[in-house]
Amino acid sequence: MISKDDIKGLAELARLKLKDGEDESLLKDISNILGYVGQVQSFSADAAMAGVPAVHNVLREDVPRASEDTMAHKEELIKQQFPKREGEYNVVRKIIQKDE
Amino acid sequence: MNNMDVTTLSITEALAKLKAGEITSVELVRAFKKNIDERNENLNVYLEVFTDIEEQATLADKRRAAGEDLPLLGIPLAIKDNILIEGKHTSAASKILENYTATYDATVIKKLKDAGAVFLGRVNMDEFAMGGSTENSGFGPTKNPLDETRVPGGSSGGSAAAVAGYMAQAALGSDTGGSIREPASFCGLVGLKPTYGAVSRSGLMALGSSLDQIGPLTHTVEDAELLFNIIRGKDPLDSTTIASDTYPKKNPTKKIGVPKHLLVEGVEPDVLAAFNDSLKKFEAVGYELVDITLPSASLALAIYYIIMPAEASSNLSRFDGVRYGLSKKGESLFEDYAATKGDGFGEEVRRRVLLGTYVLSAGYYDAYYGKALAARAQLTAEFSEALKNLDAIAVPTAPVPATKLGEKSDPLSMYLMDVFTVTANLTGHPAISIPMGTVEREGKNLPVGLQLTAAHGDEATLFTLGKALQ
Repeated sequence: MISKDDIKGLAELARLKLKDGEDESLLKDISNILGYVGQVQSFSADAAMAGVPAVHNVLREDVPRASEDTMAHKEELIKQQFPKREGEYNVVRKIIQKDE
Repeated sequence: MNNMDVTTLSITEALAKLKAGEITSVELVRAFKKNIDERNENLNVYLEVFTDIEEQATLADKRRAAGEDLPLLGIPLAIKDNILIEGKHTSAASKILENYTATYDATVIKKLKDAGAVFLGRVNMDEFAMGGSTENSGFGPTKNPLDETRVPGGSSGGSAAAVAGYMAQAALGSDTGGSIREPASFCGLVGLKPTYGAVSRSGLMALGSSLDQIGPLTHTVEDAELLFNIIRGKDPLDSTTIASDTYPKKNPTKKIGVPKHLLVEGVEPDVLAAFNDSLKKFEAVGYELVDITLPSASLALAIYYIIMPAEASSNLSRFDGVRYGLSKKGESLFEDYAATKGDGFGEEVRRRVLLGTYVLSAGYYDAYYGKALAARAQLTAEFSEALKNLDAIAVPTAPVPATKLGEKSDPLSMYLMDVFTVTANLTGHPAISIPMGTVEREGKNLPVGLQLTAAHGDEATLFTLGKALQ
């Protein structure tokens, strides 16, 4: 039903590096789990029935706030969480890279 | 206070003594700290005991002396490690967030602070709440304080062990598929999963956003009710929160539904016997038992293990090492992400992320996720319809008492433990686990829990029924 190549493909989609040999154990576990959850395919109705949440179209009042009301005093705490800082900046890797 | 162990008191009892001036919050905190010092190294319940607990308690005592009377003033609580407390480490028991400091208070924390509670520390859990035994923690398993060879249940196993081991007066947990109720059952406590939307999820690290709810783990039904009434309420920071009148009020019917068709196999005989005994107690106080059929309930676990990993894989994509948490360097941007997640996430998390990625992928979406959504709607309709004529639906919380550490090593067999609890998360109904006696395993009496599910917004009925059973 699912192959080792599928596991590798999923890991790539999920941006997840697997440990050595983990594709084997994942193949076994995920095959078992899919075998079990596959029961839902016996259910005969379509997704159009999917329920509507109890509350919907939730919007807050559009009230102007002073900047100090929001995250202002948390700035330092947020900055401290950055994995790599340079002065006031969060250092991230260049997104655009050369194709090889 | 001599001659009395204040750590065994319920919140309501401790509050009465605080009000009467018989004990102080500092005394309470020191008594819990003593138990933590004696047992935590072995049980691995607290991931961190906060350094400011004496200050918090001293402040609470001063406020009481100044005439303040808040609903939880000076009561020491344990908080599951996936609920944010500003300025404190919060890791969801994951290596990927080992050094993360919360930048804001979860709404429930804000409410507890306003109520005067003292926070003793953050407690262990399955990583990102994925598990039913607390063995999936990135920081080692927690042991059940009632039998140290067994698991406390999970994922809120640290919360349950803290209360059952008298290391906190009560605790908050979170419940995505039974993560409050199953540990409550395994540790002999009361555990409540509120109606979806009753309690704000702002500041709770998301697992399955359409399933997650925060709730209390306590010694008594009264304590669960007290905590629930403090943490509940509409919150502009969580657009799924409900108002007190979102669902219509229900009149009591004095009827309890029992879906016998779900109990034919899989439940251990002595657990079933304890369940039947608890039903007799309801009969003795005037409740009528009704045999009901819930045709889609047998699909609940399959539906759950599609929807939850799908939501989890989406929610956990945010842990990419860019803004916070673990950050690994690879050869490229792609490798940065892959190495960060690969090193930071534990085995069960990786498994569920891949499973979720699979059921959401283009070729399989209709067969799995689409079907699961439709079946979930049908299941919800069946429960809502049945509950129109019932006060509650009763089943055992778990088919077994606490299992041995390491006993459930195969993921699917672990998932099967959730067979009775996942339904309430899928349908959004409130459900409570209440101790229903004990069963003997290897010469030890282990607690088991009764689960009651009520209509949307009808936690009040769960408390009424729970008090009748207590």
